[in-house]
Amino acid sequence: MAAPTSGSPDAKPFDIVATYNDLLRSDPDLTMPIAAIEALVLLLTHSPSSTISETLDLLEKSTAHLKQSIPNPIGLSAGTDLFQRYLITTLQRPGQLGPAGDFNAIRAHLLSNGRLFIRRAKESRDKIAAFGRGFVRDGSTVLTNGGSRVVASLLQKAADEKGGPSAVRFKVIYVLSSAKKNSDEPEGMETVRALRAKGVPVSTIPESAVAYAMGKADIVIVGAEGVVENGGIVSRMGTYQIGLLAKAMGKPFYVVAESHKFVRIYPLGQYDLPIEQRVIDFKTEEDVADEAKQQKAVSTETSDAKAVNTADSADVVDFTPPHLISALITDSGVLTPSAVSEELIKIWF
Amino acid sequence: MANPVDPALTSSVSASQPPAPEMQPAVQQPPQGASASKPAKQQPPKQPAKGKDGAAAAPAASGDGAALTPAELKKKAKAEKAARRARERAERDTTGGGAPGGPGGQHAASAKKGASGPGGAGGKDSAAAAQQKGQKQQPRRGSAQATPQVGAAELKKKQEEKNVSVFGHLYGQQRRTTIAGAGKEVHPAVLALGLQMRDYVVCGSSARCVATLLAFKRVIEAYTTPLGTSLARHLTTHLSHQITYLSTCRPLSISQGNAIRALKLAISSIDPSVPEATAKSSLCDFIDSFIREKITVADQVIAGSAAQKIQDGDVIVTFAGSSIVKQTLLTAHKQGKQFRVSIIDSRPLFEGKNLARTLANAGLDVQYSLMNGISHAIKDATKVFLGAHAMTSNGRLYSRVGTALVAMSAKERAGGVEVPVIVCCETVKFTDRVALDSIVVNEIADADELVTIEPVQQLTGLPDPAAPAPAETKKGGKAAASAPVESSTASQSTASPLEDWKESANLQLLNIMYDVTPAEYVDMVVTEMGSLPPSAVPIVHRMSTNL
Repeated sequence: MAAPTSGSPDAKPFDIVATYNDLLRSDPDLTMPIAAIEALVLLLTHSPSSTISETLDLLEKSTAHLKQSIPNPIGLSAGTDLFQRYLITTLQRPGQLGPAGDFNAIRAHLLSNGRLFIRRAKESRDKIAAFGRGFVRDGSTVLTNGGSRVVASLLQKAADEKGGPSAVRFKVIYVLSSAKKNSDEPEGMETVRALRAKGVPVSTIPESAVAYAMGKADIVIVGAEGVVENGGIVSRMGTYQIGLLAKAMGKPFYVVAESHKFVRIYPLGQYDLPIEQRVIDFKTEEDVADEAKQQKAVSTETSDAKAVNTADSADVVDFTPPHLISALITDSGVLTPSAVSEELIKIWF
Repeated sequence: MANPVDPALTSSVSASQPPAPEMQPAVQQPPQGASASKPAKQQPPKQPAKGKDGAAAAPAASGDGAALTPAELKKKAKAEKAARRARERAERDTTGGGAPGGPGGQHAASAKKGASGPGGAGGKDSAAAAQQKGQKQQPRRGSAQATPQVGAAELKKKQEEKNVSVFGHLYGQQRRTTIAGAGKEVHPAVLALGLQMRDYVVCGSSARCVATLLAFKRVIEAYTTPLGTSLARHLTTHLSHQITYLSTCRPLSISQGNAIRALKLAISSIDPSVPEATAKSSLCDFIDSFIREKITVADQVIAGSAAQKIQDGDVIVTFAGSSIVKQTLLTAHKQGKQFRVSIIDSRPLFEGKNLARTLANAGLDVQYSLMNGISHAIKDATKVFLGAHAMTSNGRLYSRVGTALVAMSAKERAGGVEVPVIVCCETVKFTDRVALDSIVVNEIADADELVTIEPVQQLTGLPDPAAPAPAETKKGGKAAASAPVESSTASQSTASPLEDWKESANLQLLNIMYDVTPAEYVDMVVTEMGSLPPSAVPIVHRMSTNL
């Protein structure tokens, strides 16, 4: 039985990593966990597995492969873990869809439910916006950062409440990351334009001005890449320092995240994340020279092979511990950080 | 006091002579040694009663019970229950209140004897006669006891002066010192276990839980249901005798309580129509699987996932000797991780010594220091691993005294972000109780444990002054009886300056066993169901008990 499963991904032209990347590129509104789930569903539709264990085995292998080839698999693993968990619980349930049932029926059911899950996850952004709207008060100033789509949709929803030009009069201080990579404008510029179009006054500041601007802000709203078990978040680099500053200045710090971003990891600190990040890199003059020489040698052969597996500066994340977070606005309600573990336990047991 | 006992014994047991002399010394002890401490004094009211209880129960169980009419049986059961209640009340009074408890206990004991004695002898005597007999004896017994009672009251007062008043509510019952006076229905395995727990031979929450379950397994194996009852109904009461005995040796741990609760639930859910042998074997299977699921395998899972948190170059600080922390460190070591362990230990149990030896033998890099050196030991720590006695529902850690100090020192160092405090704890140690401080719920051990000092190799001066001290602790229970003798001939025992702390006024010793670590000082609780923040303890507890 091992032979066909290990052979099938190779035999089929289906490439999970390419599918995942395509999905992310084609739909700008898609989050990483959802793209991962969608890729897995597509994988299942493409592969002719005929038994449960074969399916699970295939799933596990592809997940591992996908995780390995993506620089930061934290957000992604939330989706894959959730999907795997969902599969297992469905398969264990007694009845027509249980281990005794007809496998083709099970497969059809899984696929249709997987699609349903994806649709629901996409809808969850509206739900969050509905929950979080109340946090943006009339006359308040919101400080936010990054290119989170949930935050963007929340702010836009708050802006065009009751239709018309911005029923709630609020201002936004948008922290734009200075680290620009290949794109010509910093992440989040799109949201800034959309908000300005709706008549919301937006000010953009660099990351170094956060402490300076914090005094003018009333609340902080940020997005997250993953919400971890202790209620902390893994998010774009720079979120942790905003959290610390907000705490120091006594401003409420809200996190907006869909509940499918809940990940089963438990980081104890910045350096306990399950990914390799080269943020702090000590060098001497000698090392710099060596590296430059090496880079020249490498660039002649394969230019982008190395760039895949080590997170570059635009993709790095940090961990914001739960004690800095006032509340998490999710599609299952507004939660305190300690309620996250409860939600996670509910999903996993 | 010895006199009134005898008739009862003659009536119930054919060979009456041997027991009588045996009882005499126990009874006469209180007046003899003024400071001879509570355990000896407590015995008199309880001991004869229990002895008789056993004597009466045995013949009844061996078949005579069948001869009784249902009405008589009922009456007997009632009398027994009343006697037990009265005895319990009396015990509480003697330990808590003082003098008035004495007569009450006497009354109960005699009433019980009156009722159960004849029943055991043959069941033909009428209950009225028994009652009469009991009443007749009562005044005699009371008068016989009058003198020791006065001495006891004085003693009690003295004892209370030695109690630290903030913890006054915890003193309750002194730990049992001998197996004398244990009910006859207590199984030998349980008897032995009780003393082992008392002497810390079996120590640690998990170990006590496993040992208790294994002992109960032997109890169940040796158990036969008496005629006229069903296993599901009688075995629970039979077990509760064992449990009562165990709790007099040392208060039960949370894990023991949880295990016993699960076992009782399993017993009560046994179908009465199931044959006894099947029921017993299913209960033994239940115990085995409980130990395996909740402790053995749980420990492996915890050790595995906690070991993942250990990285190369870590300096792990741990406190005292937790078996699960030991397993975690060994697992991480087997995975080839390079890290250092710093064990912090404290008096009087020195549980860390065994841990240090085991880890060092396994090839780990171990540093051992006492609590005094905590600020030094914590300086280069990167992680703190702690074991638990229990986790309370408000997320607080209830563990060996000193744990809170270690956790707080780790957090106080620099904003508390760098040194994570990780607690390894099986879910069987979770409780729905809430602890706000370490005063309301705690355990007080014998203060004499603090007195003895380690024998030090002394090259100059007096010839080995510490020698008598360890001998005394080893004797444990006997120490109480022999203490006055030694202190009267005290000139040679200059062992500890605190040796005669009981005699000196204004001096109280406190030997507290546990403390409570606030949830803010705990970063992560590793359980067999995953890693949780302390705030998730009640959720997991609810799930693990309801499933």
